[in-house]
Amino acid sequence: MKLCSVFIKKISIISLFMSLILSLNVWAKRVEYIVELKDHLFSPSVIKIPANEKIKLIIYNRDTTPEEFDSFDLNREKVIFPNKKAVIFIGPLPEGKYQFFGEFNPNSAKGTIVVTSTPERNKRVKPLQENKPGGA
Amino acid sequence: MKKALYALALLFNCFYSSFTFADGVVVDKVYHPYVLPNEKEVEWRLLSHQTDNTNDLAQRFAYGQSVFDNMMVELYIVGERDVDGNFGVSAYEIETRWMLTEQGEYWADWGMLFEVEKEHNKDSWEVTSGLLFEKEIGRTSLSINAFLIYEWGNDIQNEIEMEFRAQYRYRWLPQFQPAIELYSGEDYVGIGPAFMGIQRFAGQKQLKWELGFITGLNGKSKDHILRVAIEYEF
Repeated sequence: MKLCSVFIKKISIISLFMSLILSLNVWAKRVEYIVELKDHLFSPSVIKIPANEKIKLIIYNRDTTPEEFDSFDLNREKVIFPNKKAVIFIGPLPEGKYQFFGEFNPNSAKGTIVVTSTPERNKRVKPLQENKPGGA
Repeated sequence: MKKALYALALLFNCFYSSFTFADGVVVDKVYHPYVLPNEKEVEWRLLSHQTDNTNDLAQRFAYGQSVFDNMMVELYIVGERDVDGNFGVSAYEIETRWMLTEQGEYWADWGMLFEVEKEHNKDSWEVTSGLLFEKEIGRTSLSINAFLIYEWGNDIQNEIEMEFRAQYRYRWLPQFQPAIELYSGEDYVGIGPAFMGIQRFAGQKQLKWELGFITGLNGKSKDHILRVAIEYEF
């Protein structure tokens, strides 16, 4: 009973603390990296991002079929509908290579996130046209 | 969203200080706050609870599918072994999981769960609402569920319960991820190891499995629970 009470109190404190953190996080501007998926290929397929920093990966699906971004390394799964874009938040991560692939076309749709101290901050693929958000 | 989370946190504190608890085994499954669109699944869960005097067995069969990009509905049929050793249907349940925040966007990921359950051939109802939390810490993930449960009907004592479930998981390999789980409710605190994994097939098809051995800490006699869950997504 005592253990239960302590546990509940701790959960309460954690939940309040997290609400505060969440409110601060809303103001943080994320570095954006843009990737296109066309003919079931990610372009660029290698994305260099900074270590220990949260980034925003925006994927535009130019194909007429849906794709599911999947990565056990990154602990992310996200459906990207045809002609839509999806936003995936990655990091903060230590330096290393993190593989990802498209679940519907795993042989062609694959890539690597390289977390490095020398990221390509300005090397972004400019989208050919703006897609509406459609991932989830 | 921010205001909603503040409200939930405050609500949580209020409930803790106001309500009394009820008996019951809280070991089941630790939920994650994530939903994928176009997802359909069938699920089987088994719970074997052994004490010095009893040997209870319960099974759940479920079908679920996402109805929105961030919401999934699951229907359950619950079966239990009765005192005569016969296994039969004991309850029906509908459950909704709602993903509140985008994975990785904030310091932690949040979701909610709503559930209505009715016992078979009895005027016994249960409604549950809960907060689902997950925090990624390197290659590990901490998941916490906090549930508020209201039971009512002519065949059950009207009461409010609270339950907590926590899981700390090491994402070692997709197919094998060890974890430690903690379950807490009135008159029960249990802890034990759990193992889970996922095997992906073509497209969205994947098989998830979970196995846990939970030991009750608050009794002097034997109190062991084995839980198994197998889920096929397609």
